[in-house]
Amino acid sequence: MRYNPVTAEIVEELRGIVGAKNVFVDEEKMEAYSHDETNAEEYGHMPEVVVTPTTVEEISKIVKLANRELIPITPRGAGSGLSGGAIPIFGGVLLSVEKMNKVLDIDYGNMMLTAETGIVTNEINSLIKEKGLFYAGYPMSLETCYLGGNIAENAGGGRAVKYGVTGRYIMAMELVTPKGEIVNLGGKLSKDVTGYDLKQLVIGSEGTLGIVTKATIKLTGLPTAKSNLLVLYKTPKDAIDTVPVIMAKGTIPTSMEFMDKLSVKTACEYLNESLPYQDAGAMLLLEIDGTNQEQVELDAEAIGDLCMDNGAIEVYVADNYTTQERIWSVRRNIAEAFKVVSPIQSLEDIVVPISAIPDIIPELDRISEKYDIKIPCYGHAGDGNLHATLVKNPDHTMDHWHEIEPLALRELYEVTKNLGGKISGEHGIGIKRKKYMLENMDPAELDLMKAIKVAWDPNYIMNPGKIFDLELE
Amino acid sequence: MSYVWTIAEQSKGKLREVSFELLSRGRKLADKMDTKLCSVLMGSNVSDEALQELIHRGADEVYFIDDPRLENFIVETHSNVLSDLIKQYQPHSILAAATSSGRTLMPYVAIQVSTGLTADCTELDIEDGTFHLLQTRPAIGGNIMATIKTPNHSPQMATVRPKSSRPLAADTSREGKIVRLELKDELVDDRVKMVGFRKDVEEFVNIEEAEVVVAGGKGMKKVENFALLRDLAKHFDGVLGASRDAVDRGWLPYPHQIGLSGKTVSPKLYICAGISGSIQHLAGIKTSEFIVAINQDQDANIFQLADFGIVGNLFEVIPKLNERLEAYKKEGK
Amino acid sequence: MNIIIPIKQVPETSNVKMDKETGTMIREGVVSVINPLDLYAIEAGIQLKEQFGGKVTVCTMGPQTATKALKEAIAMGCDEGILISDRKFAGADTWATSYTLSQAIKTIGEYDLILAGERATDGDTGQVGPGIAAWLGIPLATYVSKIDEINNEAITVERLVEDGYQILEMPLPALLTVVKEISNPRLPTLRGKKKARVTEVPSLSAADLNMEESYIGLKGSPTKVVKIGYPKVTRGGKLVKALGEEGVNEAIDELMKFLEDKELI
Repeated sequence: MRYNPVTAEIVEELRGIVGAKNVFVDEEKMEAYSHDETNAEEYGHMPEVVVTPTTVEEISKIVKLANRELIPITPRGAGSGLSGGAIPIFGGVLLSVEKMNKVLDIDYGNMMLTAETGIVTNEINSLIKEKGLFYAGYPMSLETCYLGGNIAENAGGGRAVKYGVTGRYIMAMELVTPKGEIVNLGGKLSKDVTGYDLKQLVIGSEGTLGIVTKATIKLTGLPTAKSNLLVLYKTPKDAIDTVPVIMAKGTIPTSMEFMDKLSVKTACEYLNESLPYQDAGAMLLLEIDGTNQEQVELDAEAIGDLCMDNGAIEVYVADNYTTQERIWSVRRNIAEAFKVVSPIQSLEDIVVPISAIPDIIPELDRISEKYDIKIPCYGHAGDGNLHATLVKNPDHTMDHWHEIEPLALRELYEVTKNLGGKISGEHGIGIKRKKYMLENMDPAELDLMKAIKVAWDPNYIMNPGKIFDLELE
Repeated sequence: MSYVWTIAEQSKGKLREVSFELLSRGRKLADKMDTKLCSVLMGSNVSDEALQELIHRGADEVYFIDDPRLENFIVETHSNVLSDLIKQYQPHSILAAATSSGRTLMPYVAIQVSTGLTADCTELDIEDGTFHLLQTRPAIGGNIMATIKTPNHSPQMATVRPKSSRPLAADTSREGKIVRLELKDELVDDRVKMVGFRKDVEEFVNIEEAEVVVAGGKGMKKVENFALLRDLAKHFDGVLGASRDAVDRGWLPYPHQIGLSGKTVSPKLYICAGISGSIQHLAGIKTSEFIVAINQDQDANIFQLADFGIVGNLFEVIPKLNERLEAYKKEGK
Repeated sequence: MNIIIPIKQVPETSNVKMDKETGTMIREGVVSVINPLDLYAIEAGIQLKEQFGGKVTVCTMGPQTATKALKEAIAMGCDEGILISDRKFAGADTWATSYTLSQAIKTIGEYDLILAGERATDGDTGQVGPGIAAWLGIPLATYVSKIDEINNEAITVERLVEDGYQILEMPLPALLTVVKEISNPRLPTLRGKKKARVTEVPSLSAADLNMEESYIGLKGSPTKVVKIGYPKVTRGGKLVKALGEEGVNEAIDELMKFLEDKELI
């Protein structure tokens, strides 16, 4: 694809649209916008100019300018993505929504909130907490991500078992289309079959179908009580087999995290944690929430009993801050612990039907042995989304790693596909998994996606080169 | 006016530095009330020169209870002796060090003589008119400073954080009285016996009394990397500390832990690397004179408290810093 | 072996906020947990019981809500919990608290060992443990990092001091305050939680415990808080970025100058 360079005249024109302080071209400042949470050396790319508009009209003008001049635009949230979706791989204009971070309306009658998409998602919850309300769309407490990024990636996270993913909570949005038109999709409506559901098409499209500038999100009642269970099993199969049993009983846990033996062992050794992990082949970490502590503890107890009846070796209960921190820190430190072993890794995001999780574990062992690398497997058992991670063997050279990584990934994805799974559950395709998606997707389905992209973005300027490549002349 | 007392500490006949820090505190209080300052020492085999040094460092009188049975700190006997002295001499106030022995002895004595005790004070003063001892201490993780007094009980007692004051320079012209007292047999409680003493094989150090502490946290990544900090500490004759994260991971033993669930340090210089600065950790270092922090995250809490902060990769910064300090030492000589 | 463990419920410290107006802690929204340093005492007590049999009793002075802390200790493996609760106890300093706890311990009955945390992370005094030993007139060892030997009559412990470990031998009953090195606290199990839920935790008042009223609560406390101040937390120090090789060198230049200026090298 050939794009035109961002000339000094165009930078001037951008300054005219958004004001001089919202445009910058110096390398040092732009560096932060050249990568996300993926490996910058491998995937990073500098933009030619960064703009930080403050209104939807400004964004519309910028997009129209980009169409006129054939310059690519890369929309960006907080830059915490894990697939390279916000990296300006063709240079051009990097458009950050960071200055559009206002809450516009809190509608208690409909339990909805409307905000600009540059708002830090976590801040929404601190704003509405006092009113006893809660935004469950992406309730990961340790993140700095923006609402806009969550929509672009249809973010999931650890609590999707109970609360679902971002898409479930987006009621309406204001979108600047790839042609620069401003459209409003959806509404404060529980039901809506008035034509195609374009809003859901935009959610998870990784910024390729336009820039979402405003969103109306659904709120729920704030859970104030929680209890956690750490359940030890002899085998991964025992652990996974319990998942549907729990789901069938009515109380859906907020989280059902799975950790295989290697993950637990590495994290516990790193933390010097004295849990009796040596005997466990796998663990489940369950969180149960609600509004009444006593009830939540009883629910947790009932779930704990189910686990014991279904082959658990031991169930630990954490219903206060100290013990909850302790068991969650095992889960949270898995990635960190492996970074100490070897900082070079490929964090994967496969998703399979829940019942297929036990079948994938021996496959991981096989791939791990074949390529002499470690593949810890942990993730969201409740929704089948597993962060199997390829960890480079510290004894191998980088060249060797570059050689085997794609081979190992291909095998992993093939196994995933054979089990009815897909290659990304919540991190997205971006640039990182583009070629693998191509290999794993039905060509007819891919053609449909491309047709949509062409219809929406005929000049191919909106976040080009993400998810799939388009050949246009 | 009755006297101000300080409790001197000795180890194997040698006075501990904290004994002199207490005297510089006590001197101010005694002068304000126009009374005498007395240092009480329980021990054995302490030389005359050492006793004289207590005078040179500010004491007007020294009560030395000299007996081999007082050589090692055993709380029951030491408390009996001190309580007996209190009943006999009725001091106005008593300052002891917030050390392992001071923090054990004083609460025991407080019950025996029925008076109040304030732990781990960082400031002391005398209230005008009432002559109440105003005892100020950090509370709730150093977030507040509470001033406490003991209005209706006597003596008024406090333990004082080591290193929170500088000793007075020795003034050899000072003169004072040294009173040697016999240990009364009935005060000896022989239920508890010290049957041995174990030092850690490697670098057992008292981080609370160190002039320079070099500490590492989670950002050190693994135990081997503490070699960098060990080298750095050597340049300052400093000792190694660690955050709770690092101790929990088993990288350094518990005696090195700094913070709310470990030790509180007040060194002249505190250098830390790879410590983000939880509230609990900051509580343990707030009273340091100078704080230097090296951390990758420029928003880390630790920089709020640092006098000098370097935002950078500690694995790049510290080896270079060690080289520079090495070169500095050579040039300096 | 009968063991008594006095514990304290403390605010979880990373969440503590202060009311600037009144100078008191904002309790609302702050979660309470067992004093983290008490967990080591609880674990050590449970291990002794597992080894020698007997009973572990936890007790705490506090409001009715402190029952939760006792139940958590029972869930870990303690046998009984006793709440010492009375409005009259409010405002107690370490002197009055150690009196109150020692009176309660006398009521609990025969014991071989009292184990306590080194100190509580909120008050941070470490005075209550030694105070209880003084009231009860039993041998005391503070900062205990290890139990070397124990039998029905005597115990040998290692006590962490500034320059090493004192090894102390003493007859039982005795009181030990323990440090982190002594144990790795276990997590409560589902079985433990269930047991804790059905275990009755009696609440004892001043009258139940035969208290001398002038020794308890605010009135019985020799020390009085007269002023609360807020120390300046930030120092506003210099912050330099060490990016790239040159950046690192420049940062170190500045640091060396700082150390020189402050006469630290």
